[in-house]
Amino acid sequence: MNKRARQWVIRVAVGAATGLALGLAIGWWLWPVQYTNTAPAALRQDYRDDYVVMVATDFEVEQNLEQARKRLKLLDPEEPTAPVVELAERLVEVGGDAEDIARLTYLAWALGATPPALAPYLEGLP
Amino acid sequence: MSNLSARRAASIIGLVVGLALGLVYTWVIAPAELINTYPALLRTDYRWDWVRLVALSYVADGDLERAHARLDGLKQEDVTGAIQALIEEYAAAGHPADTLRRLTALAEALDVHTPAMLVYLHTPTASPPTLISTPSPTPTSTPDRTPTPYSLSPLSTPTPKPTRTPRPPTPTPLPPPPFQLIQQEQICEPGQTVRIEVVVQDEHGVGLAGVAVWLMWPGGADRAVTGLKPRDGAGHTDFNAEPGVSYALGIGELGMPLVTDLRIELCPAEKKEEEPQLGSWRIVLEQQSLETE
Repeated sequence: MNKRARQWVIRVAVGAATGLALGLAIGWWLWPVQYTNTAPAALRQDYRDDYVVMVATDFEVEQNLEQARKRLKLLDPEEPTAPVVELAERLVEVGGDAEDIARLTYLAWALGATPPALAPYLEGLP
Repeated sequence: MSNLSARRAASIIGLVVGLALGLVYTWVIAPAELINTYPALLRTDYRWDWVRLVALSYVADGDLERAHARLDGLKQEDVTGAIQALIEEYAAAGHPADTLRRLTALAEALDVHTPAMLVYLHTPTASPPTLISTPSPTPTSTPDRTPTPYSLSPLSTPTPKPTRTPRPPTPTPLPPPPFQLIQQEQICEPGQTVRIEVVVQDEHGVGLAGVAVWLMWPGGADRAVTGLKPRDGAGHTDFNAEPGVSYALGIGELGMPLVTDLRIELCPAEKKEEEPQLGSWRIVLEQQSLETE
């Protein structure tokens, strides 16, 4: 390869590296893919937790187990009970709001899953 | 092509190829991950369901601050649409008045209005229902469950500066014309539910819809709006009533009643052997015409 051709290749390579860096910067930081129309499963953890608490509270008000199950399947299609139990246990562990724990436990119980740690919260249920 | 042009072309070709590769990689091959989103990015039906859940949670816990935090970042049109739909659905399904009062209170706090909520505005509400008993080993401390960084979209808007432009004096609006009792009639029909029917009409005897009527009694009050049962007439509304209570009727805001000491009384028996029954009342209130000087 003569000197001129080598210089040409170097210029192409430098240009490509600069373009690649620019492309990555644009695609990841300056102008990333904008997601809309997402599902509850994509929510940040704290919003997911809030969603689960609200589903449990709604179940207390509306007593519609199928609706609750349908909503929870949006978080975990395989094991819809899992997010409820997991959150209830986590709240028990950190000393979370007792009413939220009771609502979650009630929903977990209605869905057929009550781990021993949550059993005390079932006392007094109808 | 000169040397200079060839060098420039090489750089530009490289730049374009690199840029294209970079964008394909970041937008198609490895885009920003679809995690850690927030409610405003949910699909429309999920967003509405989120608002519905917030509203029904408010019915259960009565925590307005929490409801506000949960709705933070959502567009007002989503909040309005979902709550209006929920109230209308609940009103049509005949859900308990306390639930509807709570939903209405939330709607009002969120600046949402729908005709179905008129009946439940400003009427006394019961204390929040506690449907679930909590276990005896209640945790005494209630730290934050999870971090709640609900500050995704700062909603603070700059306050417009007050303008001091002098305005021409505007005429003071005249108060709405008062109403007066023009008819009070006892209704005695066999097997009737004892009630107080109210008909509100204008000076020409045409029923007026959308007028708030208050029924007050010692220790309580109820509010109804005329015209919600179109088959009974635009100016019609009614209240259930009990014997032995002294009722008063008013229109508009709670204030001076138009009818006082209204009591459910026995109807006069037509035959001696008939057992007397309780009679309802039909009250007709007419709007007085404005007298301008």
